[in-house]
Amino acid sequence: MRRAGLRTRVSAAFAVGALALSACVTVMSYELTRSTLLRERERTAVRSTYFDASAVDAGLARRNANVGDVLGSLDIGADRYVLVQRSGRWYARSADTDAHAAVPAALQEKAAGGQAAAQRVDRDGVPAVVVAVPLDEDTVFYEIVTLRELEQTLQLLALVLAAVATMMAAGGAAVGWYVTRHALRPLGWVADAARGIADGDLGTRLDPDTEPDLAPLTASFNHMADELTRRMQRDRRFAADVSHELRSPLQTLAAAVSVVDRRRDGLDERTAAAVGLITDEISRFQELVGDLLELARSDQPAQREATNIVELAARVVRTHRLGDDLVEITAGDDARTWDIDARRIEQALGNLVENAVRYGGGPVAVRVGPGFLEVDDAGPGVPEDLRSSIFDRFVRGPAANARGAGEGTGLGLAIVAEHAAAHGGSVSVTDRPGGGARFRIDLPEYQG
Amino acid sequence: MTAVLLIEDDDRIRLSLTLALEDEGYTAYGAATAEDGLAEQRRVAADTVLVDLMLPGMDGYECIRQLRRDDDVPIVVISARDDTHDIVAALEAGADDYLIKPVAVKELAARLRALRRRTRAASTPALRVLTFGDLELRPEAGEVRRHGTEVPVTRTEFRLLCELADHAGQVLSREQLLDRVWGYEIGDERLVDVHVGRLRQKIEEVPGKPRHLVTVRGLGYKLQP
Repeated sequence: MRRAGLRTRVSAAFAVGALALSACVTVMSYELTRSTLLRERERTAVRSTYFDASAVDAGLARRNANVGDVLGSLDIGADRYVLVQRSGRWYARSADTDAHAAVPAALQEKAAGGQAAAQRVDRDGVPAVVVAVPLDEDTVFYEIVTLRELEQTLQLLALVLAAVATMMAAGGAAVGWYVTRHALRPLGWVADAARGIADGDLGTRLDPDTEPDLAPLTASFNHMADELTRRMQRDRRFAADVSHELRSPLQTLAAAVSVVDRRRDGLDERTAAAVGLITDEISRFQELVGDLLELARSDQPAQREATNIVELAARVVRTHRLGDDLVEITAGDDARTWDIDARRIEQALGNLVENAVRYGGGPVAVRVGPGFLEVDDAGPGVPEDLRSSIFDRFVRGPAANARGAGEGTGLGLAIVAEHAAAHGGSVSVTDRPGGGARFRIDLPEYQG
Repeated sequence: MTAVLLIEDDDRIRLSLTLALEDEGYTAYGAATAEDGLAEQRRVAADTVLVDLMLPGMDGYECIRQLRRDDDVPIVVISARDDTHDIVAALEAGADDYLIKPVAVKELAARLRALRRRTRAASTPALRVLTFGDLELRPEAGEVRRHGTEVPVTRTEFRLLCELADHAGQVLSREQLLDRVWGYEIGDERLVDVHVGRLRQKIEEVPGKPRHLVTVRGLGYKLQP
């Protein structure tokens, strides 16, 4: 499983902390409120029971008093039940004859011992207080006071407190999110700077003064960028030096061999064949040096400028001495001016056309679409397993190998891939419907 | 016989190119330093000068500037450097064309022929006078006058100006100009841009805000009164 992000984790920690804290406070205040209210209610119940007990006692003292009638004369609300236990017999108001079932045995015992007592019970899921007041040796007055109202109040309180706790947790998460946003902002700057450098803007540096607490990070980042720039410049200088060092002897070879080549007719057959080989190899060597230098410099950012892509494609086709009618345009009028490095895209497209000429029996279409260029050929196509590696350096497809390693430099498609990548694009090869290969350059950022 | 002067410090390149150019029918002179090259040019007055950029002592750019100071001879740079910066700097110093080593001899010969063709075309006698506001162009006499005073332009600059003047008020694309002035079917458009810049320095009141030789964005250049 993927690990949650730092921000998520910090926010979650804030939420959990806030929840724990508010839960503690909530539970404590709930318990405190509950016990206070219960005690208060119990005291009231005991007081009213004593009052009722004295009324019942007085009623029973009258001659021929009927216990039921005495109880019935009491003024009680819906939440109270009154009972009298006399000589082991229960008396109650006619409406609640079963009420005595709620009187716990322990309380009865206590009352039988002549002691007034109160006990909290649960009556059909509703908490209640049973108060026992002995009237004489074998008569006990009981009053059951249900706490339904209190229970409802406490439920409401619990609900409110739970809501508060939840809100506190959410608030904690929000604070965590907000705080981390501020704390992580410098990392965002670092990310932007790193992206800038990756995109080729080597001058990108972080300002060490904006966030003093992150000075070590900015310092090491800037040091890294300096170092990187220095190395890239050194590599580039090396490429330029190699260019000069290789090109000068090649120039001598090219000029000298042309002198010999001119006199080929006067040479014997074997020498002429050897001269022919040298001439061919020198021109391939020239191509190779050019391609290698192109690759060495390909990490440089694209020099974008507004370019008419249709004209560019037509120029490429003309350079290869192919008909203008080869170019198919599927891009609309608004998608014909591309913001690209014209030289590099021209070379990339040129290499694809060259590839089709050499190994694909010639291109059958050069297509210009919105943000993509395609070159179709009628050759043998590229096998599935070679379709990504064919863009690697010095990798040749079977069609190229069949013609011997003497053809091409093995770098043409690698250059296409590099140029496409320098524009934030990509290159791919698929089967052309109807046979042959379809090479495609995608430039999603073609409109700047 | 056309004479070519090759200023190149690498002995082997100088020797091989001299041999190859002689095969192509040129009289080739060689010089190993810019200083020798300038002296040699004063002596032989070659029809075209080929210059390498990296030379001991005086560098190729300075050599081009000095050659340009007293001569409108076509100058072709032959260099191993192919950075845009180097190419533009050489063209701005006054070079007419730029070739990157290694140059095939056939290609070099083709470039030299193109330079020669336009040189000859400019020296046919006739009496046309084309006027563009304060500018006066005499194609056959090879003269440009501004406010009646002759402006020194190189042969390539002159050819470029004549090409634009022949199609006055009409936009010519960089590709068309490359083809008509330099003889390139496909070439480096920077050649055109730098030459236009150089011309503006000479014929415009305010080179940064050209009145005559204007850029038509995305299309090319045109000459107007």
